[in-house]
Amino acid sequence: MIEMKHISHSYGDFKVLNDVSLTIQDNKITALIGANGAGKSTLLGVVSRLLHPTEGEIFLDERDIKTMKSKEIAKHLAILKQTNQLNIRITIRDLVSFGRFPHSNGRLTKEDYYKIDEALVYMNVKDIEHKYLDEISGGQRQRAYIAMIIAQDTKYILLDEPLNSLDMRYAVEMMTILQKMVKELGKTIVVVMHDINFAAAFSDHIIAMKDGKIVEQGSIDYMMDKKILDHIFDHDFCIAGVNGRKVCIYYNHQQTAILAERKEEVL
Amino acid sequence: MKTRKHIWIWMSTITIFSILFYLFFWMVTTPYDLFPVDPERAQLMQRAIINILSRKTIQVLAMVISAVLISSTALVFQTMTQNRILTPSLIGFDAMFITVQTSIVFLFTASSILYINTYVNFFAATALMLCVSLLMYRMILRNNRNNIVFLLLVGMVLSTLSRSLASFLQTIMDPEEFQSLTIRTEVSISNMNTSIIWIAVPMMLIVLILIVKDLKTYDVMSLGESNAVGLGVSYAKKMNLALIYIALAMSVATALIGPLSFLGLIAVNAAREMLKTYRHLPLLILSSLIGIIFLVLGQAIIIETGYLTTVTVLISMVGGAYMIYLILKENRT
Repeated sequence: MIEMKHISHSYGDFKVLNDVSLTIQDNKITALIGANGAGKSTLLGVVSRLLHPTEGEIFLDERDIKTMKSKEIAKHLAILKQTNQLNIRITIRDLVSFGRFPHSNGRLTKEDYYKIDEALVYMNVKDIEHKYLDEISGGQRQRAYIAMIIAQDTKYILLDEPLNSLDMRYAVEMMTILQKMVKELGKTIVVVMHDINFAAAFSDHIIAMKDGKIVEQGSIDYMMDKKILDHIFDHDFCIAGVNGRKVCIYYNHQQTAILAERKEEVL
Repeated sequence: MKTRKHIWIWMSTITIFSILFYLFFWMVTTPYDLFPVDPERAQLMQRAIINILSRKTIQVLAMVISAVLISSTALVFQTMTQNRILTPSLIGFDAMFITVQTSIVFLFTASSILYINTYVNFFAATALMLCVSLLMYRMILRNNRNNIVFLLLVGMVLSTLSRSLASFLQTIMDPEEFQSLTIRTEVSISNMNTSIIWIAVPMMLIVLILIVKDLKTYDVMSLGESNAVGLGVSYAKKMNLALIYIALAMSVATALIGPLSFLGLIAVNAAREMLKTYRHLPLLILSSLIGIIFLVLGQAIIIETGYLTTVTVLISMVGGAYMIYLILKENRT
């Protein structure tokens, strides 16, 4: 369980996070949504100690992360930031091997090799393991990074917009894999997402942020509500039902409605 | 893999050849009879040969130390700053050394123990350089890591500023003090300060051991800050330590053979080009070898051609052209 207590973080005078308290439940996919600049990435950064919060405490399985060594944290919690532009040319296999660094300190043992192979197979990149990252597609690259996270073998995984720059097929594939990881490997995953429909379809719990605060959180059914979504994004949403599932439409729906009305008038 | 092996064999052979060339080539070209028949003269000549050889060996040692330190810290510096063009000397580490020496003489006079005693002077200068460089580069590097052009500009301004400051202090100081100051500041490869060699050797070993110990961590750090932190690297701590190592190494190298702007750039990038790897250990070894070759072989050639120019000019010429090429290449991608 990850617990955040009264977290605040500011860049200069600007408070990006304002007294956030939150509990991430185990064995679930939690989606973090909110408008641009709401503080989602900052929250993820603070939890993963990339940023040091100005105030507040974070507990990882009831241990204060301030008292834990960086390497110790890396054995329990992995993070992947959005769009990794690397300065180095590296093969998929080497990248995934880096996932074992917290465990092996760079000297790989038999067990490490086993875990690396396992991660490569799990993410279906084993057959292209010797290809360089700049030779493969965006979807494959994203899978390689997730394979590194799997090799890191942590209980908690934080992903910052993993669907960025993925086409629809790869995005669905990615989310399906994340679901599988929760189910089969017992992971706890937090994902920052922009597409509400993806969040609704694949996550177990949605947390919504606005202006550095948690404004709403709850089950998919509760969160997929016009009033709540309108408030979170300051935007006009339209919730529809498709095959018994709630889907939101956030563009052109007024226009469509007007057009439909006009059609009726004509008829 | 086979070509890899070839690179290693070739480069080590060339390195050894350069050193032997530097040590022994004068024997071939000398007009004197090195092995006279007369036993008394033979003994004298033998002593002379040994004398020259031991002096040359110390010079080679100094060049090797400097080349290794300059190349390996350039490599580490590039990982820390996440770029392939900047090196410590390009942003003014070595200009700072001269300023520090000048200010020591200016503030404490040339007769102070801080200046007269070679060892005390070395440590004082190094300590001062450490403080200044850490302060400056932490302020600048931290926020502008990816802005190479800005860093180059800052480096240029800094090195010009510190050079001007040094020459200003030298102008207003006592002529006699200025005289004694030039012993430390007018160091170059043709005029090495070998008196500190026995302090430079252990310093090099210490810095190298410390760097080699962290090479695996530097591998991870080349993935970028967020990935490295996620993998459990204490990024800020390692970066500070690395900057300390770099400042140490640069002060040793500059005290030994004076400023050499482009050596690190050439050595590290040539090694990268040859090995096409991101791993620091092979890169460190190969770039050190290339650094040694450039310095020793270059100097040997220059001596044998009768000092037509200096190796610094040679390296700057090659290095400058190479750097322009690198910047153009970087801009294209």
